Amino acid sequence: MIEAHELTKRYGGKTAVDSISFTIAPGSVTGFLGPNGAGKSTTIRMIMGLDRPTSGSVTVNGKPYGHHRSPLGEVGALLDAQAVHPGRSARSHLRTMAATHNIKASRVSEVIEMTGLAGVASKRVGGFSLGMGQRLGIAAALLGDPRTLILDEPVNGLDPEGVQWVRQLVRGLAAEGRTVFLSSHLMSEMAQTADQLLVIGRGRIIAAGPVQQVIDSVSGGAVRVRSPHAGELAAALAADGVTVTLPESGTLEVSGTTAEHVGDVAFTRGLALHELSPRSATLEEAYMSLTQDAVDYRSHTTTARSRTEKGQNQ
Amino acid sequence: MSTLTADPTATTRAATSPSTAEVNSTLAGIMRGEWIKLLSLRSTWWALTSTAALMTLASLAYAMSLDTMAEDPVTAPGIEQMHGAEIVASGFPFGMLIIAVMGALSITGEYSTGMIRSTFAAVPTRLPVFAAKALTLVVLAAAVALVSVILSYLVTMAQLSQYDLVPALADPGTWRVLGGSVYCLTAAALFSLGLGTLLRSTAATVTVALTVLLLLPGILSFVTLDWVQTIVSYLPLPASSTLLTTGTTDVPGANLSTYTSLVVVAAYAVVPIVTAAVALRRRDA
Ligand SMILES: Nc1ncnc2c1ncn2[C@@H]1O[C@H](COP(=O)(O)OP(=O)(O)O)[C@@H](O)[C@H]1O
Ligand SMILES: [Mg+2]
Repeated sequence: MIEAHELTKRYGGKTAVDSISFTIAPGSVTGFLGPNGAGKSTTIRMIMGLDRPTSGSVTVNGKPYGHHRSPLGEVGALLDAQAVHPGRSARSHLRTMAATHNIKASRVSEVIEMTGLAGVASKRVGGFSLGMGQRLGIAAALLGDPRTLILDEPVNGLDPEGVQWVRQLVRGLAAEGRTVFLSSHLMSEMAQTADQLLVIGRGRIIAAGPVQQVIDSVSGGAVRVRSPHAGELAAALAADGVTVTLPESGTLEVSGTTAEHVGDVAFTRGLALHELSPRSATLEEAYMSLTQDAVDYRSHTTTARSRTEKGQNQ
Repeated sequence: MSTLTADPTATTRAATSPSTAEVNSTLAGIMRGEWIKLLSLRSTWWALTSTAALMTLASLAYAMSLDTMAEDPVTAPGIEQMHGAEIVASGFPFGMLIIAVMGALSITGEYSTGMIRSTFAAVPTRLPVFAAKALTLVVLAAAVALVSVILSYLVTMAQLSQYDLVPALADPGTWRVLGGSVYCLTAAALFSLGLGTLLRSTAATVTVALTVLLLLPGILSFVTLDWVQTIVSYLPLPASSTLLTTGTTDVPGANLSTYTSLVVVAAYAVVPIVTAAVALRRRDA
């Protein structure tokens, strides 16, 4: 359980997190979704007691993180930037952390096995790929067998197999009743992993709730119509104040009305329809629509952006 | 990488296996964590071996130069005034140089790599881990200083015996100089640790630390204003020098009493450490 109350962080004049309040429930995976620079990592650093909130408060399992007697048993965190000395081996890094909580060497070996680092555990971290670094960060997060897991952009740099593995891991951990809080700027990732979403943009929460509910709340559903009389139908619909676009000849994308209405209009005019299909918004569209005013570093075109996201997801 | 759990239940079973879930943060554990941290870095071992090697070689070189001094009628009478322990401890500035860098790196190495966030995630109250870091550093610095002094004693013994200068263990002067070396080197390590915690950057810390510890007295010796020379006598090197001699020393500004020197050297360790501890609790990691 993570509870934030009017949590705010300002760096100089820049407000990174702007009075956000939320509750992350145990037993499910909550996705913390937002474009780059939205304030996800800052929020996570405040949860972990690394950055001090400008105002507001946040607790984990009922107390500020720093007040727990065995912090690594409460929360395991993968932080955004690598938090490892490159001169140490993976095993030594984990041993330094394990020692603070008297965690046995056998547990260190166990998390090394679990994260697939057995072959490189004695190599220095400086030579690790981004993906191996992420696995080490996840191993460190699992070390104390914590009740709450916080993973900041865990799939960054992972290969598709690694992405799949993280997904199964967090689903499994949540199924055991743990709290799993997972940040990402990739909605496609969240669609397959999260139960709940907390969407953040420019430091503010812009939507929260079960994944489907967040999608429905922005809905913006459209109706796709194919008709040999597309032009005539478009004119008839446009007269009613409905938005119509023609993505290709003979096909209409109608928004701002229902499929029933489109069907009725076509029937009244005696226009044949070859397809009439309502489309609910995808998570991707919901996200775009939610965050379009809240993107700090928008790339030049929307298509370029979604291409980058796909690229990073692979 | 493909050895990963295709079966998610296997992963999660391992994660909750009760035999593994003994998690208990203690001061002893935090100390052990800091030990592992220091000893698992190659740079620590480089620093330790080069401290011992440079201090020992420097004392040997100084001892060998007694031969040339003895041949020169101008310097020959001076040999009788010398205390053997001063020759044994003559590698002190080299030790100070490397131990100061080691102290700085023990914390700036964490800030510059992001390791500090793992450290503070494991010990969010921060002060226990800072205290543990200071303590491990003190033990390591004192140990390497002691080993270096013993090695210096052994390698110079043959040469010093020719001039009847082997420092007697029954002589309090011997303990003053050799103990003073260990004391001042340990203080230098803490000075850099405190400074590094405040500045965070390795380059900035090493520059400031070495300037204050080693360079400043030499630079300021050309400024003959009284108040500047008073300041110089309170700088670490002159203050240490009064502890590293049984008589007088030619280090500029070394004119404090023994007691004052002990306090001044301690202040160079304590003030930065306390300031750093206060700042550490408040600042973002
Ligand atoms: N230590 C810092 N100093 C100054 N600004 C910061 C700092 N950390 C983050 N920011 C700013 O705060 C905003 C949120 O950043 P961050 O939390 O990293 O976003 P996200 O993780 O969602 O990409 C960004 O505009 C970023 O530049
Ligand atoms: Mg981030």
